[in-house]
Amino acid sequence: MEKENNELLRTENLTKDFGKLRAVDNLSLSLEKGEIRGLIGPNGSGKTTVVNLITGVYRPTSGGVYFSGRRIDRLSPDNITHEGIMRTFQVARVFADMSVLENMLIPAFTQGTSRREARHRAQELLDFCLLGKLSNEPTRNLSGGQTMLLQIVRGFMRQPLKLYLLDEPFAGVHPAIKDVIINTIQKMNREEGVTFLIVSHELTTIRRLCSRISVLHGGGVISEGTMREVANDPRVIDSYLGG
Amino acid sequence: MVTIDSTLLSQYIISGVVIGLIYSLMAMGITFIYGIMRIINWSMGEFYMIGGYLQYIIITHLLGVEDWYLGVLLSMVGVFLLGMVVQGLLIKPMFQGSVERRTEYATIVTISLGVLFTNVAVIGAGPFIYSPPGYYHGTRIITLPVSGTRFVAFIGTIVLLSLFYLFLKKTWWGRAFQGAAQNRMGIQTAGIDVFRLDQIAFGIGVALAAAAGALLAPEFYLHPRCGSIATMKGFEIIVIGGLGSIPGVLCAGLLLGLIESLGAVFLNPSFRDVYGFLFLLAILAIRPTGLFEERERVA
Amino acid sequence: MKEISYTKITGFKWYSLSIAALLLLVALLPFSTGQYYLQVFTVAFYYVILASSWNLLAGYTGQFSLAHHAFAAIGGYTSALLVTNFGLPIWLGILAAPLSSALMGFILGMLCLRMRAIYLAIATWAFAESVRITISMTYEITRGDLGLAVPKLFVGKGQGVAYYYLFLGLAAVTVLMIMFIIRSKMGYYLRAIRNDEMVARVMGINTTRWKILAFMLSSGIAGIAGAFYGHYNGLLTPVMIDFNEMAFIVIMVVIGGIRSIAGPLIGAILIELLTETFREFGEIRMVVFALAVIAIARLYNEGAMGTIRQFTQWISRRKQAREGVN
Repeated sequence: MEKENNELLRTENLTKDFGKLRAVDNLSLSLEKGEIRGLIGPNGSGKTTVVNLITGVYRPTSGGVYFSGRRIDRLSPDNITHEGIMRTFQVARVFADMSVLENMLIPAFTQGTSRREARHRAQELLDFCLLGKLSNEPTRNLSGGQTMLLQIVRGFMRQPLKLYLLDEPFAGVHPAIKDVIINTIQKMNREEGVTFLIVSHELTTIRRLCSRISVLHGGGVISEGTMREVANDPRVIDSYLGG
Repeated sequence: MVTIDSTLLSQYIISGVVIGLIYSLMAMGITFIYGIMRIINWSMGEFYMIGGYLQYIIITHLLGVEDWYLGVLLSMVGVFLLGMVVQGLLIKPMFQGSVERRTEYATIVTISLGVLFTNVAVIGAGPFIYSPPGYYHGTRIITLPVSGTRFVAFIGTIVLLSLFYLFLKKTWWGRAFQGAAQNRMGIQTAGIDVFRLDQIAFGIGVALAAAAGALLAPEFYLHPRCGSIATMKGFEIIVIGGLGSIPGVLCAGLLLGLIESLGAVFLNPSFRDVYGFLFLLAILAIRPTGLFEERERVA
Repeated sequence: MKEISYTKITGFKWYSLSIAALLLLVALLPFSTGQYYLQVFTVAFYYVILASSWNLLAGYTGQFSLAHHAFAAIGGYTSALLVTNFGLPIWLGILAAPLSSALMGFILGMLCLRMRAIYLAIATWAFAESVRITISMTYEITRGDLGLAVPKLFVGKGQGVAYYYLFLGLAAVTVLMIMFIIRSKMGYYLRAIRNDEMVARVMGINTTRWKILAFMLSSGIAGIAGAFYGHYNGLLTPVMIDFNEMAFIVIMVVIGGIRSIAGPLIGAILIELLTETFREFGEIRMVVFALAVIAIARLYNEGAMGTIRQFTQWISRRKQAREGVN
């Protein structure tokens, strides 16, 4: 019973077919409140599809997604956001015709936050992430890593942010910025209780950040546990080597 | 209900189908350009008009009506070259620089191009109507009388369409174009200069429109705004047939011609253009991507 | 700290001062020009309304609709027909106009919800053509190409001045309303939708609702403008739904500066003035406009407003640099 109350996200037999291709296969995953979970797996194992399914971009072919006990897989992406779930994209997507600050404001606006409050929090967050000086810059002047950082920190404008799904947040990012990202994740997890699901290929970073790791292969979870447990799991080794 | 003379009916149908097929040439151009560059050229009708004017000049001042088919070919070549220039100046930058909204840019630029050409035509050729002489004397299909021009234009269209088909399927260039339509990045990694392909594709596309213009010049009078009707027919065809589908364009062209002539015969002939359009709206409402599926580009 | 978007004009004081000066000039115009230019400006203000409302949908929300002129026609004919056939008072007809055009805007918006940009352009084009054909076809009611006589709003001496101030007021209201919208949260949502619709949804924006709203607003405004135009001109013909009218609107907005508030305003007045002043040059006018649009689009310039913005930002940067040195 105790464990039930602590569960934030659960997928049950989640399956997604694209025509004949089964991208996600009877996937069952469970996240606890306050976790930082890593999601790893070889290319094509369905990681991004899982994120898309959870955030309403795709509808599951069968199975369901439950958030705090409530079913959410039929909700549209904007309604998912209203549940307190945010996500980032593999290729950092920000609003190109707006400044850095304006990008930050949007998730707060859709919650009904006043402009003054939103601006205040946005500047705070930007300052924490060392992007503060760039708040009036057009986003097209940012480097790739800065754009990814902006994309990530934008999600924290949502209050309360219950679950944050990050899709390859470290890919191609300068090590200094990577550190900022890691710090931010840890701070938000610690201070605001944000639960994270991080999809990444960077095993060292994942080990540093995540308490538990789920390994995906062929659309299903083949192993779960701490980094060490998972790294020694023969099935996992197979999947990375064999495919 | 009025009893229709079956001869009259067949005449109407054949006539309509013929025109529909010739307009398909134009729609083929629109689709082909779309397939390679994923843009809609809103000035296709103006290239049609230029083709018609070129043909007129060629056969009245250079060659003479007997060599009308040469005139068509020359007009096509002329417009092909013009198209390449236009593409190089205006369209190519879309793929090189940092144009963010390609569709918006392409729409603005091609609409303006259309305005430009139309008004240049008025300045150059005056707001007069030109009528090139007919290409062929009246003839008969089996026993049905058919306008000579339409007859040979029909033959010309069939020839062009067949050549186009052979070009696409059998030549190296044709296969390169098919590849580009399916996977633009893929053929780039294969070492093909996509920008060159783009330029030639645009040239071919507008040349097809010019061919339609040249073929139909004696049928429908030549004036600077004659392109707008052609654009309309062209777009009707691609909406009905599906953007990006070449067999779709053919079927849609025939279908359009058929529906227009049937409507003209059984209903009111002065609303000929409307029936095709109503059909288009029906298709748009039921199946917005047209009768034939558009094949998604992989990359 | 004031929210300064890099897309805005810096040097706010100078900007509003020059706007005020222009407004004063414009308000006093009838006392210095003859009937002819009074009419030219009146029509120019009509195009300001059309250009601004189209820019809201196409420039800001990214829905590049080619049916805007059709909504003006729908509004115009609705009001005209209600007044002439059912004896409604003119003001009632004018009120009914945006209802019908906004309804059509709603329908068109719903149809185009999931369409990609290319299909949206084609679908809206088809819609506009159908309206044109319908009006031509139902000539028993609409008098088709002969033109529909419309009861005028103002008659008698001084009507020129009355119409001038009417359209000036309408244009001002439209531009102010759109400025208000763009600076509001709704403006952020529309711009976000244009930039990246998927991300907009993920940020919590109900893109469906806002797109439809943008459609309805822009078509409603166009409709009311069309209605006023009918009761000003005294005659409505299908020429107003010719594709050339749409091309005209696009030209005005691009030259003035797409995605700016003042752009459509400047573009409409400039183009209409140039068109009338150089009437004897005939087609060369359109050639020049078309070339200007192509050049602007090609050079990634944001039209007249874009140039003004770059200029003011350059000035403020020089100012900052000088102050920095001190």
